Amino acid sequence: MKTYEELNGLELDAIREIGSIGTGNAATALSSMLGKEVRITIPEVRIMGYNEAIDWIGGPEVITAGVLVNMSGELNGIMLSVQQMEFVNMVLKHMVDRTVTCYEELTELDRSALVEVGNIMISTFINALCGLADISTRLTVPAFAVDMQGAILTVPMAVFGGQSDYIMTVGADFICEGRQVPCRLLLSPDIRSLNFLLKKLGVLDG
Amino acid sequence: MDKRFVVGIADMKMARGDGALITYALGSCIGVCLYEPRIRLAALVHIMLPLNMETNRKNPLKYADTGIRETLRKMEEQGAMRSQIVAKIAGGAKMFDVPGSGNLGNIGQRNIESAHLVLRKEGIRLLREDVGGNVARTLLFDAQNGQAVVRSFGKPELVL
Repeated sequence: MKTYEELNGLELDAIREIGSIGTGNAATALSSMLGKEVRITIPEVRIMGYNEAIDWIGGPEVITAGVLVNMSGELNGIMLSVQQMEFVNMVLKHMVDRTVTCYEELTELDRSALVEVGNIMISTFINALCGLADISTRLTVPAFAVDMQGAILTVPMAVFGGQSDYIMTVGADFICEGRQVPCRLLLSPDIRSLNFLLKKLGVLDG
Repeated sequence: MDKRFVVGIADMKMARGDGALITYALGSCIGVCLYEPRIRLAALVHIMLPLNMETNRKNPLKYADTGIRETLRKMEEQGAMRSQIVAKIAGGAKMFDVPGSGNLGNIGQRNIESAHLVLRKEGIRLLREDVGGNVARTLLFDAQNGQAVVRSFGKPELVL
């Protein structure tokens, strides 16, 4: 079994390709929901230690929204969409025609819109991944939380904490109306699923 | 509070006298504050999971059982007396309510139970706690007087 930090260049390339196709599909879904063109930047894969991941997302105490879906089947794990303020307003502006200055202002309708966007992006991403690797998985209904992003990010860490000291994130930024908005889609397969996925893609070394 | 040390995830730091310790955004994780009032020695450990089942145990501070024991050992090295050490804990929330995924939701609850059990086994008195619920907590621990302050989103500060 290979853990996140043991992946070689070829295996990382395969994951990056999945990220590219997954994020691309998510961007297309987002684009049709917003009625605007959404493009993506070159995707990247990051394998980070816990505290490094918290710095990367922008500090522990910043409030953010998160949509979380649990996967089970041939692919087990968690997928998380971290929706920072810039992203929230991009969605709200086009879907409900308003923007907010802080998370306290989110109405029930705003929250539904964010959950739905998160859910559809995650589902599209996973669908693309499963089609590519020819595997199947079931997704739970999405769960939503608004709180400190450090605590939201530690959810996948804690679930796989017994297996690894690292967390893997896959993703690219969105470009909408000339503005680059970070897309924080975090795919966290468990270690067994990661190995299975790499084997299915034909790149697992040894 | 001149010296404020930041405790990361699966991390532990100690402060003495006028120092203070802070750990940010505890979700299902738990911050365990241990204090020896006689020598004003404070230790804060940020644990993530209830039980250490790793074979090589290279990261004891990640788990409630080994984390608390390791911290007590380090405190005793600094001259703390076991019988004087008292504890305050915060965290163990359930950040997401995902229907139909048992394991995901109760890590916080298991962390709370494990922390209670380990403290009791080690003979450490638990003075105050702020655990459970569904909010993230930032925990500040002052070595001056052993006071702990919990900060959460959309709630007033709570002094433990």
